Amino acid sequence: MKTLAGRIAFNLFAWTVVLVTAFPLIWMILTSVKPQFELFRIPPTFWPEQITFEHYTRLIYETPFLKYMRNSLILGFTTTIVVVVVATLGAHSLVRFRYPGRERLAQMVLFTYLLPSVVLILPLYLMMVWLGIANTIFSLVIAYTTFALPYALWLLRSFMQGIPDDLEAAALVDGATRMEAFVDVILPQALPGIISTSLFTFILAWNEYLYALVLVNTDEARPLTTGVMSMLVSAFNIEWSLLMAASVMMSLPLIIIFAFLQKYLTRGFGAGGVKG
Amino acid sequence: MADVSFQKVRKAFGSAVAVKSLDLAIGSGEFVSLLGPSGCGKTTTLRMLAGLEFPTEGEIRIGDRVVNAVPPGQRDIAMVFQSYAPYPHMSVAENIAYPLKKRGVGRAERDAKVASVAATLQLGALLDRKPRQLSGGQQQRVALGRALVRDPKVFLLDEPLSNLDAKLRAHMRAELIELHRKLGKTFIYVTHDQLEAMTMSDRIAVMHEGDLQQFGAPMQVYEKPANLFVAGFIGSPAMNLLPGALESSGSGLAFVRQGLWLPVGAGGQAGQKVTLGVRPEDIALGSGPFVATVRIVEPTGHETIVMADIGGQSAIVRVQPDAAHVVGSEIPFAVRTSRLHAFDSVSGARLDLAFALPAS
Ligand SMILES: Nc1ncnc2c1ncn2[C@@H]1O[C@H](COP(=O)(O)OP(=O)(O)OP(=O)(O)O)[C@@H](O)[C@H]1O
Ligand SMILES: [Mg+2]
Repeated sequence: MKTLAGRIAFNLFAWTVVLVTAFPLIWMILTSVKPQFELFRIPPTFWPEQITFEHYTRLIYETPFLKYMRNSLILGFTTTIVVVVVATLGAHSLVRFRYPGRERLAQMVLFTYLLPSVVLILPLYLMMVWLGIANTIFSLVIAYTTFALPYALWLLRSFMQGIPDDLEAAALVDGATRMEAFVDVILPQALPGIISTSLFTFILAWNEYLYALVLVNTDEARPLTTGVMSMLVSAFNIEWSLLMAASVMMSLPLIIIFAFLQKYLTRGFGAGGVKG
Repeated sequence: MADVSFQKVRKAFGSAVAVKSLDLAIGSGEFVSLLGPSGCGKTTTLRMLAGLEFPTEGEIRIGDRVVNAVPPGQRDIAMVFQSYAPYPHMSVAENIAYPLKKRGVGRAERDAKVASVAATLQLGALLDRKPRQLSGGQQQRVALGRALVRDPKVFLLDEPLSNLDAKLRAHMRAELIELHRKLGKTFIYVTHDQLEAMTMSDRIAVMHEGDLQQFGAPMQVYEKPANLFVAGFIGSPAMNLLPGALESSGSGLAFVRQGLWLPVGAGGQAGQKVTLGVRPEDIALGSGPFVATVRIVEPTGHETIVMADIGGQSAIVRVQPDAAHVVGSEIPFAVRTSRLHAFDSVSGARLDLAFALPAS
């Protein structure tokens, strides 16, 4: 990387990768602001000749889009909170406490993660019906928790293994209760891990399609993924312009969250990099 | 009065026994070292006293209270960990203030106490730094500050100096001695460095494989080691241990091995396997009834260490730096009979034998 030629080559390579990755996103945004008549022009235009936000206003005022958005947000945040709280406490227990079957338990948890999620749909659906919560957002929260939790637990476990035992012991000797030691010392150390786990869970809940399709079939509980599909994609017609506008708006929350938490995310994926 | 006592304390991790059956009574205000090789159960003992491990059996008292079931925070102890364990996300000031905060001490008093402890430990200029911006020695002082600020009854220190360089270690050793003198509190100090234990302690508890080997003042442990392990462990260079046996000779007994023959005045019986302990400074090269072959000569400046062969076994001898010894040469030598140690080779226990030099 020292020579000028080397630097240029590297930059060229990096930008090519970025462009290739970002191109569909750019195309999506451009399409969403093109007027209807421009969409199917041949040859296609890259830059819109005319910019319009009509698709967005139609989406917001004439479709249940906002309701889906609300459902997705509730679903995403609830799932994230449930998964992170349970996984943080669970990982702490798996790392700190000595009890028979601890390792076996951790392995079993991972095993459930290895099952293809399709296999679990039917039993889960029957369970939801039996519990009387089928067709609710809550049923999706439970479903997503079942497959986000194992991964979250393992991610946080490996993260917490990097936190020295002595820190917690020192807090205990200094007069903290177990809970206080956990909150004062372990949580701040595990924060990058907790944040990357939260992001992982949120993204998973935000993008999930299959379970939402099977477990929920009312607009009251439908999240964006299935909502937008059922609304805009039918056997005969795809509302491309609305679909693109919806896609842009669906991406927004993730982009905003990423922008804020990016530095924690990169730190989180280098788990175990906690300095003692 | 005993301030801290262990009664028949045993600790097992599954099938691994870390501490076998420890009986130890430590007086109020004493500086006691737990000394032993790695893995002998020192940290485990300290952690049990701190309440971080539960003893499998036995009773631990602090003052006149049995503390087996008392949580660490309520034992009136402070601990400095081998890793120092400063809270990484807190500044130095917050680190030191933490124990006070957990005891509900008000902000103003907290600040005053942190300032005074920081002054004692020369941390005043570093109060706003985070631990990762500190050197090892500074981190160690933060850990010490966290212990000092609370004015506990007993201080527990787990190898607090082992991560420091030699110069800083010597300095901190002196500081700790001074601190102990000033505070008059009970200090329990874990180390595997016998020099630290010898220089700092009122008494040393020597441990080996979870067993207490000897508990006594430094000079007592040095001059009257209770068994073979203590004899070999305390002292640097280590004591020479020369296996042999007692044999009857004339009217009395004699210690016999290849290259050595020492009449024994009292104690012991013929046929007993005995190991003779001779400290490197108690062998006098130059004249005497025995002969050794010089193998290696290591001048260190203030003294010279000679490795010599005595009847097929190498022994270490301390000599004056000006003594010239030629490698390969045979030299006569004598031993200081009043300073010899004897141990039963089978049980390892110390034997009280009186030796004499053979009449020439
Ligand atoms: N949590 C644990 N689980 C299982 N075995 C343990 C545990 N802690 C300590 N041990 C075992 O107990 C024995 C004593 O350990 P301990 O940490 O007390 O040694 P130590 O004297 O402090 O050694 P060092 O000088 O290396 O610190 C060792 O054999 C160790 O392997
Ligand atoms: Mg230790």
